[in-house]
Amino acid sequence: MEETRTPAAGAGAASPAARTGGEPRSKNSPVRCHGRFQGPRPPRVCPFCAQKAKTIDYKSVEMLRRYLTDHGKIKPRRKVGTCARHQRMLSAAIKRARHVALMPFATEATRGE
Amino acid sequence: MSYELMYIVRPTLDEQALVTVNERVDKFITAAGGEILKREDWGKRRLAFPIAKFTEGFYSVLQIKLAPTAVRNLERNLQLTEEVLRYLVTRVESA
Repeated sequence: MEETRTPAAGAGAASPAARTGGEPRSKNSPVRCHGRFQGPRPPRVCPFCAQKAKTIDYKSVEMLRRYLTDHGKIKPRRKVGTCARHQRMLSAAIKRARHVALMPFATEATRGE
Repeated sequence: MSYELMYIVRPTLDEQALVTVNERVDKFITAAGGEILKREDWGKRRLAFPIAKFTEGFYSVLQIKLAPTAVRNLERNLQLTEEVLRYLVTRVESA
């Protein structure tokens, strides 16, 4: 039953990028199993706050792509560590980019092509 | 008020026809008392997903100044332009 706790493999492989900005963790807390979600922790500061971003441009596709899953869904805050305000701006930007076909609603993998 | 207009034109047009469409769009704005600050043509670009069975399209991005009440009319004109597959008007927060 408790085997599912080992976090490394499954979720970790899904988003290695989410980890890059973070600090080495688990120094004095090898066990953090009280919450329900056991995945890789996102960087502690919002990546957009770090740049003091006032707006998020829907045209910067390469940058926005980092916030999509392999299937083209918008990654949740717990995976990318954005603050609430910037996550809102981010999701609006991604949706705008989708409208003008700069980004996919679903990737080929999902569409089964 | 400052806006940004992005629109996608059918990929089947030749160069001459594309210029005509772009000029028509420009006229939509200027005729409504607007001003085009900057025009950026991205050329033919792949669409992330097919629109009206096309897999690519000509992208253009305009930075414009336009009365807020005129935006509606601009959008209507774009919608009535058959060569335009998609458009997007966004407000630009300017200092």
